[in-house]
Amino acid sequence: MTTDTRRPTTPAWWLGMREAIPLLGGYIPVAISFGLVSIQAGFTTWEATLISLLIYAGASQFLFIGMAAAGAPLWLLIAMTLLINVRHMVYGPNLAPWLTTSRWWPWLMHGLTDQVFALAHTRMPQLEASQRLGWYSGAALLAWVSWVAGTALGAIAGDWLMAQWPLLGEVMPFALPALFLVLVMPRFTSLRWTAALLLTIAIAMTCTLNDLTNLGIPLAAGCGVLCFYLVRLGARPNASPTSRGSHE
Amino acid sequence: MSNRLWLAVLACALGTYLIRLLPLLWMRRRLRRLDGSDSLNAMPQWLSILGPMMIAALFGVSLVPRQPDTMAWLATLLGVIATLIVWYRLRSLGWPIIAGVGTYGSVILLMDMLQG
Repeated sequence: MTTDTRRPTTPAWWLGMREAIPLLGGYIPVAISFGLVSIQAGFTTWEATLISLLIYAGASQFLFIGMAAAGAPLWLLIAMTLLINVRHMVYGPNLAPWLTTSRWWPWLMHGLTDQVFALAHTRMPQLEASQRLGWYSGAALLAWVSWVAGTALGAIAGDWLMAQWPLLGEVMPFALPALFLVLVMPRFTSLRWTAALLLTIAIAMTCTLNDLTNLGIPLAAGCGVLCFYLVRLGARPNASPTSRGSHE
Repeated sequence: MSNRLWLAVLACALGTYLIRLLPLLWMRRRLRRLDGSDSLNAMPQWLSILGPMMIAALFGVSLVPRQPDTMAWLATLLGVIATLIVWYRLRSLGWPIIAGVGTYGSVILLMDMLQG
């Protein structure tokens, strides 16, 4: 599971699946919780599983079943669910330069979650063009299947699982911050990037500690971009990095 | 689940898919118009900066423990340090995460045993 560029003997989809394994540490425990919470909110196993299959967006699904169980108006339910997912808008364009001409790409965008984006944004530029579709399909499919299967498992046996292995549910989700850390580290290439990234991380943590997780992601990222531009404005003109190359 | 609620599920599913798809189609059209001559420069600069910032924000959000007590913060700190050390040595994707989760889990387990 290294970040080697060339692996002619390994099929690209298999490489993608292997590299998506860390996602499972975050997906499966959360999916099990979702299945369990859905049952408690009055949904059946099939309903919970289909919601995961079709909507496939973690936080917004919890909101959806919570609001539905509370009898919220449908238009509000739909609006709030979509509002939480609006941040996904910036993911596709950021991957576009590395996508091939295949007609499969639009369909595969159903699998473009936060975590799959973070992984793909780092790995796609390192892969050869011929490997990218296979790699992304493998990674996105494994993540999707694990989310749907985890939901079904949680709906059927969530209570029992949580009682049997309470520690596992507590420990495995650390795979997500560890994954994001590994993905973000190569971006600390200059003082300018470092300042903007650290500010983003600090704001995101502050928002989460104040129960503003979903607002926190776009807000923190927006502040990071602003910081990136402000640091440039604050630098001496002859010392400021101006070429595009300095951004990467 | 009522038919109306199913309709809401379908609307949310379609809406989420379109949120993920339409900006990509817009960007691909923009790239095609430039004939692929310089695809990276075709992306607005703020957008290319926003990508890494989103990953940093996801890191920040996921770093906060679900029950932010002293034990969880200590485990988080040591897990991050272990992840960083292995990443610096290997520059790989899998091993740093295994080291991070292993360290995080060990600290939680150890503290549980000490307290229990």
